[in-house]
Amino acid sequence: MKKRNRMLWTAALAVGLTGLVGCVETAGTVVTTDHQTGSTLVLEDSTRLKGQVQVQKVNYDEVNGLKRVHITLASTRHRRLRLHYRISWFDANGMEIDPDTKTYRTLILEGRDSVTVTGVANSAAGVTSKLRVRDLEAAD
Amino acid sequence: MNGNVFAMTGVAMAAMMITGCATAPTVREVALDRAPITSKLEPQDVRRTVEKMAESLLSAPGVREAVGGTRPVLDVEPLKNRTTQHVDMVSVTDSLRMQLLRSGMFRFVDKATSGTDIEFMDAQANLGLTDQKKAIRPGQQSAAQMYLTGALSEIKNQAGRTVDQYYKFSMTLKDLRTGELVWADEQEIRKESVKPRMGF
Repeated sequence: MKKRNRMLWTAALAVGLTGLVGCVETAGTVVTTDHQTGSTLVLEDSTRLKGQVQVQKVNYDEVNGLKRVHITLASTRHRRLRLHYRISWFDANGMEIDPDTKTYRTLILEGRDSVTVTGVANSAAGVTSKLRVRDLEAAD
Repeated sequence: MNGNVFAMTGVAMAAMMITGCATAPTVREVALDRAPITSKLEPQDVRRTVEKMAESLLSAPGVREAVGGTRPVLDVEPLKNRTTQHVDMVSVTDSLRMQLLRSGMFRFVDKATSGTDIEFMDAQANLGLTDQKKAIRPGQQSAAQMYLTGALSEIKNQAGRTVDQYYKFSMTLKDLRTGELVWADEQEIRKESVKPRMGF
């Protein structure tokens, strides 16, 4: 009876572990900046990523009539981090501008280092930027 | 005896499940920015390059100086492929032109479709189907003031099971009147793939 119980527990543990390994969290950190009011909102949806990367600084300016955003990300870990980030732009009505043209770019962040990522609006109508950072594992 | 039959049936069923009876491949749609699956140039690399080049060109101070308050006429030449891979360079330049066009900073002409323009004008002038007052005649098209050109190059190294592949997209914007390079930028991509110890 004892042996049978142990086998059942082992099987349940194996099934549980398989389930956990199969789950990849695709939620990440989102930094929304309104270039008209200057307000910035940081949403950290992934507890794992929150413990690895911090948003240090957000700056914005305008170049050739297009809005530009600079966001400094800092690693809180000692090992190298491989991340993906994407900066998308929205017009004054909150509509995303050309969502298909804004891609996820790879960011390799060394231990305890900080990197500034930059995004330029592809249209003069872009007034709000949204940076989304995700774990590289979240890519298909 | 019964136990043996059950065991054999179980083994046969397990073998069928492992090998799989289905012959149709599993197909699903994936995100455009998927994780790399080879060390070759992949669609997501091209997309990132086009985005980076468009952002760089639109925000370059030299371009603002050259453009001033006008919207200069631009032509995009297909990039030269100096790699051993087949890459559709026309598609790359088409994507870049689309992004620049949407910015509203430039006007575009397309030398590649000039032959079709002549066919249309010829048909309008000679077939007798078009009202000649409305027919478009040659000699009225805008002239390209600047053109965008570039190249893709690669360096490949192999050490044991590791393949190291480096790609470089380089692009320049040239003012046709002055011959000056108004803008230039590069996008570098480096990928590594490690072959498994076993397998073919």
